[in-house]
Amino acid sequence: MSERPERLTVLIGDDEPLIREVLSEVLAAEPDLDVVATACDADEAIRLAVRHTPTVAILDVRMPGGGAWAAREIRRLSPTTRVMAFSAYGDSRSVDEMRRVGVQEYLLKGMPNTDIVAAVRRVARV
Amino acid sequence: MRSCGMPEHEPVDLELLVQSVVDYAIFMLDPGGRIASWNTGAERIKGYQADEVIGRHFSVFYPPEDVAAGKPEWELATAVADGRLEDEGWRVRRDGTRFWANVVITALHDSEGRLRGFGKVTRDMTERRVNEWSMRESEDRFRLLVQSVVDYAIFMLDPGGRIASWNTGAERIKGYQADEVIGRHFSVFYPPEDVAAGKPEWELATAVADGRLEDEGWRVRRDGTRFWANVVITALHDSEGRLRGFGKVTRDMTERRTVERALDERGQLLAHLVRAQEMERRRIAWDVHDDTIQSMVAVGMRLQLLATRMPGEHADAMLRLNETVNASIGRLRNLTFRLHPPGVDSGGLVEGLSSYLDQVVAGAGLTYSLTHDLTAEPPTETAITVFRICQEALTNVRKHARASVVTVSLVSVDQGVHVRVGDDGVGFDQPPESLARHDHFGLIEMRQRAEVAGGWWSLHSRPGAGATVEFWVPAVPREAP
Repeated sequence: MSERPERLTVLIGDDEPLIREVLSEVLAAEPDLDVVATACDADEAIRLAVRHTPTVAILDVRMPGGGAWAAREIRRLSPTTRVMAFSAYGDSRSVDEMRRVGVQEYLLKGMPNTDIVAAVRRVARV
Repeated sequence: MRSCGMPEHEPVDLELLVQSVVDYAIFMLDPGGRIASWNTGAERIKGYQADEVIGRHFSVFYPPEDVAAGKPEWELATAVADGRLEDEGWRVRRDGTRFWANVVITALHDSEGRLRGFGKVTRDMTERRVNEWSMRESEDRFRLLVQSVVDYAIFMLDPGGRIASWNTGAERIKGYQADEVIGRHFSVFYPPEDVAAGKPEWELATAVADGRLEDEGWRVRRDGTRFWANVVITALHDSEGRLRGFGKVTRDMTERRTVERALDERGQLLAHLVRAQEMERRRIAWDVHDDTIQSMVAVGMRLQLLATRMPGEHADAMLRLNETVNASIGRLRNLTFRLHPPGVDSGGLVEGLSSYLDQVVAGAGLTYSLTHDLTAEPPTETAITVFRICQEALTNVRKHARASVVTVSLVSVDQGVHVRVGDDGVGFDQPPESLARHDHFGLIEMRQRAEVAGGWWSLHSRPGAGATVEFWVPAVPREAP
């Protein structure tokens, strides 16, 4: 059996069910990515991150409880997890806020799926 | 007693008439200038009785300086040479007081042409002269009054509408010195759109037709800012009915109008509407952003995913569909950006504009400067109006101006906020008045926003020399309810 690449585990936090579902499928379709949990608010995202210690957490900025809060807590409680923002808002205030709490990648919703996948891999290597 | 030299056939009643006239001194001199007759008017005006004065030389009525100068003799000689002489000047009464006399001396010749003497008619004009003087004096005083009035611009126009005089009030209200403005056409005080519409000429024509015209509206100061003016133009005609020009009285009502409008029901309603519209826009923007755009993003991702699982031709169709969805998302993002731009919710007007400039202008490869001198944070509706007009002006700069620098300045003026948004771009190739009327909805919207708020808006531009949007909106703090 050939040597399998190290699989990356991913947590998705987004309050929009359509986004949650399709993003899970997009990532799961990649051979090296496993979606280990999905959350629909900040508290759930933090709890699941602590339980699964995923390689990457993809967080919606405006989900209930706040993406920034979730990012800060995940970085604190699961320091090995990289955090990536996935947002419909690209304004500087939102971007700066996420950067300040340790988000390594800020991705605007509406980018091609391939960009999303590439961003997840990039964040995982940081 | 018959007067010497009177023709024999002169009717007696004429002599009676002369004798009893009281308003004129009418008397005769012999060829040497000695008094030969006297009437009641002479008695009254000069103060001598007939028997005191008949036989004396008429120089007794002249002031010593005139006598010394030989004036009495000169007057007789002139009367002989020219037939008559008329003079006005001081004469002396019996009691030494003087009166201002109108004097006519007529040389009298007999049928053979020999000089028989002189007829002298003298009228006391003192009172009239005093009246004339006091009138002249009151004119002087009036002129001084007009000159020094500061609350009203009071000035004259010639019949063609050119400025002919100027006062301190005009200087203060309009900002021009007399020597800068006299001789210029008064349309210099009107906003370009009024000039284009022929308003100045129409106002003069109406003043000529109706005698006067009263108007309220925006007028332009020397520095380009505007004030709300109450204007009365009066047509001035001379005694023969010819138009000599116009009197123009202008008062600066900006402050009164601003405060009145802010505090009346209409002002309150307007403030409420501006805030309500802003909340509505924000709600729509959030709805589109958080619901519509999110769903469409999910649809796009799904289409891409399906395309990877479909055979060739279907995959292409899916990807084309995805592109359509993406383009729609882009347009919706622009819509929400315009509806609710970043910064509009900031704590203060300056902070909001600065944040907006950071994102929009700096993002478009422009540098900007924002200067402000606001005495206080304006009321919410004013801040919204200012922000929105700036937003539109900056959008124009970004899209059309091809500028490298944009400057924004905010200053508290006349109980309001005066704003300039200037760029160094290509400018407009048409006169701003015509642009604002036709297909430039952005310009129309800016103007309407300012005017509905009770302010004014204008655009200055020359091809190749950039453009400046300038406006002023009232900012009157309301009492807490």
